[in-house]
Amino acid sequence: MLRKYAYDWAAWLFFAALPLLVFQQNAGPLAEQGAASGGPMANAAIYPAIIAWVMVGLAAVNLLRILGGRLAQGSAPEPTPTTRLALWATLLVLVYLLALPWLGYYLSTPLMLAIFFVLLGLRLPLAAAGALAMTMVVAAVFEGLLNVVLPLGIFKFTLFG
Amino acid sequence: MLDLLFQGAPLYFSFLSILLTLLGIVGGLVIGVLPGLGPLMGIVLLLPVAFHLPPIPAMAMLIAIYVGGSAGGSISAILLRIPGTPLAAATLLDGYPMAQKGRSQDAIGLSITASSLGGLIAGVVLIFFSPMLAEFALRFAPPEYAAMAMLGLLTIAIVSEGSAIKGMIAGGFGLLIASIGTDEFTNAYRYTFGNINLSSGPNLVAVVVGLFALSELFVQIESGNFLARPQIQKLRISFHALRLVLRHRGNLLRSALIGTGLGAIPGAGGDVSAFVSYAVAKRMAREEEGYGQGAEGGVVATEAANNGCCGGALIPTLSLGIPGDASTAVLLGALFLLGFFPGPDLFAQNADVAGGIFIAYLASNVVLVVLGILLVPFFGMVLKVPKAWLLPAVLLLSTMGTYALQNSLFDLGVMFFFGVVGYVLRRASYPLAPIIIGMILGPVLENNFRRALLLSRDGPMIFIERPVSATILAIVALMLAYVVYTTIRPRRAPAP
Repeated sequence: MLRKYAYDWAAWLFFAALPLLVFQQNAGPLAEQGAASGGPMANAAIYPAIIAWVMVGLAAVNLLRILGGRLAQGSAPEPTPTTRLALWATLLVLVYLLALPWLGYYLSTPLMLAIFFVLLGLRLPLAAAGALAMTMVVAAVFEGLLNVVLPLGIFKFTLFG
Repeated sequence: MLDLLFQGAPLYFSFLSILLTLLGIVGGLVIGVLPGLGPLMGIVLLLPVAFHLPPIPAMAMLIAIYVGGSAGGSISAILLRIPGTPLAAATLLDGYPMAQKGRSQDAIGLSITASSLGGLIAGVVLIFFSPMLAEFALRFAPPEYAAMAMLGLLTIAIVSEGSAIKGMIAGGFGLLIASIGTDEFTNAYRYTFGNINLSSGPNLVAVVVGLFALSELFVQIESGNFLARPQIQKLRISFHALRLVLRHRGNLLRSALIGTGLGAIPGAGGDVSAFVSYAVAKRMAREEEGYGQGAEGGVVATEAANNGCCGGALIPTLSLGIPGDASTAVLLGALFLLGFFPGPDLFAQNADVAGGIFIAYLASNVVLVVLGILLVPFFGMVLKVPKAWLLPAVLLLSTMGTYALQNSLFDLGVMFFFGVVGYVLRRASYPLAPIIIGMILGPVLENNFRRALLLSRDGPMIFIERPVSATILAIVALMLAYVVYTTIRPRRAPAP
């Protein structure tokens, strides 16, 4: 049961936790700001609380459906030959997002792209050239055309800005 | 109706708008051709760029991507038997057999031409009905608006693929996300956890990009085949299909109207309208037309319907502020972020903008037929680009696009979080569109709900004392009863 509906359980836990968070916040920070009671205009908690109660009801129904095996299809993790690669790619994206403010766009992006290309099966020289070209094209569009300052990083480096 | 077009013409007819319509159609067709992407992904990826543009050129670009992306999926359906988008799933029933008989040129030409003409027919309906609907909605007060928002969200939650309960949970999730930030009435910080970045709530674009683009990236990586290059027949430019499609004008008109009608029902979607139109066309056709074996009429019916659906979906989006599908929900969000409020007020206060959007929609469909046919050989080449090049490009565009909106690294964190959430929800067969629609309709629902309670002397009774809101809520109740019935009824035993 747990494995057969693994993703359903994960989603259920996530959605069941949300109303609890709403109730906790309503009773805590919102009440402290004096916005969790009174008429419809003064009470900022009333509407989310209604939605949260509806979510509690829906989560309960969904729990019964999972326990009763009434879902149209299972959601067991079915690893493919590239599932491990997908996990590495996810980690790569996370590391890239964390490195972006430190290394800046021009250092972190070609590195991330080159690793990504290699992970997806391209040869290193092609991956490096592709990564560099893609970095420059996107930078030219965002910095050159749209006047966006891409993350500068600690080296404060920019090409088109 | 026509005065709207006259008012919108000066706004639309600029070099930038026309250029962005051309680029939007090409971009939409390319992204539609590539299996697994589609118009929504195209809109999502270029949404951040749109916010750096003037409103009408920005909307022209996004609408062109919507139109082009809806039509482009048929090309891979015809050539590879893989619909580029779910909208084109019905097109392969006759498009692929046509290609197998050596008529891929005609099949693609027919699909592009029928899409374009279907879109234009829907455009006429859109221009005619939207102002009428908006005028009717001008009489709405807070109880009616709240009821309409509820109905719109519930319809999409129920009709979306997957179970109705999951759709409703997804919609509720969207409503809760929308309640994060500073409360408009009390100025209290709600569910911000002391984080100043959340004082205006999570950025809609970051959520959309995470849910749709990033989670799709993870799914695509898991499916492998990064270096595969499909074999494609050599394609040439031919306008022969323009004559071919006229042989099916009755079918074209009927299918476009079916698509428009179904598109106007929130959640019904282009794939549903394409299959319905196909079924009707097949039923009305002579046997010798050979539906299912490469009938021209089959391609015309499905493509006229699924692009007609785009125009139909824009009707409730623009006139009521209730999106017809996930793509129009994002278009609606774009309009909000560009400073306009879709709904009756758009027609009353910004008629020129509404007119400009109508013209952008019509122009997109005209450009579609020209560029769609001229660029056919190019699309054959696009289909040969391996995923190993596309996926990192999608990641980079998603990341920088999200960052560029507010130069915010926090938004990138939001994008990543919703990317992971979106992946888990996809695997658990939750529809994602209701989350976005919940996020967009959340403020409309809450503000009007609280305003209605303030106006009322009998608390929530105001919602059933007023005839229009009572009628809408009765429909909501019927839909909920249907959901309860389908959830608790005993399942049929499987056939032996």
